[in-house]
Amino acid sequence: MATVKEQLIEHVMKDEASIPRSKVTVVGVGAVGMACAVSILTKELTDELALVDVIEDKLKGEMMDLQHGGLFLRTPKIVADKDYSCTANSKLVVVTAGARQQEGESRLNLVQRNVNIFKFIIPNIVKYSPNCIILVVSNPVDILTYVAWKLSGFPRNRVIGSGCNLDSARFRYLMGEKLNLHPSSCHGWVIGEHGDSSVPVWSGVNVAGVSLKNLNPDMGTDKDKENWKAVHKQVVESAYEVIKLKGYTSWAIGMSVADLVETILKNLRKVHPVSTMVQGMHGVKDEVFLSVPCVLSSSGLSDVVKMTLKSDEEEQLRKSADTLWGIQKELKL
Amino acid sequence: MATVQEKLITPIAGGASEGPRNKVTVVGVGQVGMACAISILLRELPDELALVDVVEDRLKGEMMDLQHGSLFLKTPKIVADKDYTVTAGSRIVIVTAGVRQQEGESRLNLVQRNVNIFKHIIPQIVKHSPNCILVVVSNPVDIMTYVTWKLSGLPKHRVIGSGCNLDSARFRYLMAEKLSVHPTSFHGWILGEHGDSSVPVWSGANVAGVNLQTLNPDIGTDQDKEGWKETHKMVVDSAYEVIKLKGYTNWAIGMSVADLTESLTKNLSRIHPVSTMVKGMYGINEDVYLSLPCVLNNSGVSSVINMTLNAEEVAKLKKSADTLWGIQKDLKDL
Repeated sequence: MATVKEQLIEHVMKDEASIPRSKVTVVGVGAVGMACAVSILTKELTDELALVDVIEDKLKGEMMDLQHGGLFLRTPKIVADKDYSCTANSKLVVVTAGARQQEGESRLNLVQRNVNIFKFIIPNIVKYSPNCIILVVSNPVDILTYVAWKLSGFPRNRVIGSGCNLDSARFRYLMGEKLNLHPSSCHGWVIGEHGDSSVPVWSGVNVAGVSLKNLNPDMGTDKDKENWKAVHKQVVESAYEVIKLKGYTSWAIGMSVADLVETILKNLRKVHPVSTMVQGMHGVKDEVFLSVPCVLSSSGLSDVVKMTLKSDEEEQLRKSADTLWGIQKELKL
Repeated sequence: MATVQEKLITPIAGGASEGPRNKVTVVGVGQVGMACAISILLRELPDELALVDVVEDRLKGEMMDLQHGSLFLKTPKIVADKDYTVTAGSRIVIVTAGVRQQEGESRLNLVQRNVNIFKHIIPQIVKHSPNCILVVVSNPVDIMTYVTWKLSGLPKHRVIGSGCNLDSARFRYLMAEKLSVHPTSFHGWILGEHGDSSVPVWSGANVAGVNLQTLNPDIGTDQDKEGWKETHKMVVDSAYEVIKLKGYTNWAIGMSVADLTESLTKNLSRIHPVSTMVKGMYGINEDVYLSLPCVLNNSGVSSVINMTLNAEEVAKLKKSADTLWGIQKDLKDL
């Protein structure tokens, strides 16, 4: 007696293993990982999504919750497992896993714990997707991108840190609010170390090509009557503020990661401020990762845009590089 | 000394800018509310989004986190406040607020507590957006939609419960998996009460117009050798299963609510299984809300599809209606 499926459907081809063409894996199903996942799914960027984590119940629950939305999505396959075999053949792996800072914990302590976590994660990623691009989101992102690069053995174009992509997005949002314009029409780049000592490049800030610094030469200095410097300060503080209010940030970082994923998977060659190996640029002598404007494509990070920085901006970058190298050289990799 | 803005920009259109045309409010910024909000934003549906809740810190934090993603969105204004004036001029108001069941708590107890919460919420919504369409998500959704209708004084076509939209989506996903097709290519409707006693209309289940019950007349019954009834059971159990695994569900319900919102804001006249006032249909004589296939457009529920149900399916609907009315008639001060 034929089943409903047999009566309904005639299979007309010989089955062959189907390899996904634009598979994305998200490692870590916390708030950030899931915000990345939902943004990527809703933007219809991938034909297969894999989730990995160590907490099996939560992982399975998140997978099911996404699968139940299948009717509304264009990603026909959503898988999840503690075992990395489910990540095989990924084009892009987004790493959000890692320990959060406990109160009173030193940065170095956090880094070493996350290095230990990455020592498990990165080789597993590489094993199942040896040609993938790794996008590191976990903090401190510049250092962990360096760690991922070292542990993976990948060429530098295939290990990217989300870096200042979000800082720049926040900067452009705040700039848009000040000028009553949409953020996409406000151009401004925040580069360097992701976080407290990021560098706002005031000379490049413009609307429709009109340099704002030309209109207001004091922009970014303490003398500025309009206090544009506060915009950058607000960018630096906004993460702490959101964490204080709701416990963590998720939506903005999720959307900014989906933005990077789109550029990479669609081979767009858009320029994004992301964290890459900057040894030899702007006077940086060590193997450190900092955010600079990079051309992203399906090969990953293929080119870097050479910014013309003022001497104090370059000084800030070098200072960040020294701080980062100070931590990195103590790491046991 | 002219500011940067004054030097840069010459204003042309004088006067205040017009109000929003497609404003959406989400009441409640818990997991479900925020999943609704992010799905709606990513689908670029509203030109303004308002969030309301009573927990002010969390509310502000969620608003800021969404605003920081503005570069990637097409919703230029995102606001939030405990005060409902921030919701003024909304076309669609999505209500996700309410208490969850504590262990050992009876359903009636939950309903009365949520009624008390809604007594505070609903009049304020209507005060600031008298022409809006209300979409109720809070559980038990059929009863809460009835409560909302009573408290709002809005005509019944403008008060909708998310109802069985998610159940049907889950059903279509699970059935499609079994048949190796995309969920959009499997058609099947789950109607009636949202939850344990929802009604899968097996007589309508089809792929490309080919009726599955015609291929297997036992489908959905206990005699069915293929056990298709199990799929509906999985739909009913799936919410509990996800809650057991991760503590709550949010992504699927968020996406399904965004789907409803799209039909409403874009005036699509698509048909969705949502909770609507069914008095007068299928022998139901009380004011109850149950899910039926409803045509949704910018007036709300513009019409209801007359399903051809068999006697057993009609009996189940009537039984749900009786159960719901049993609870509703005891509610105080509506």
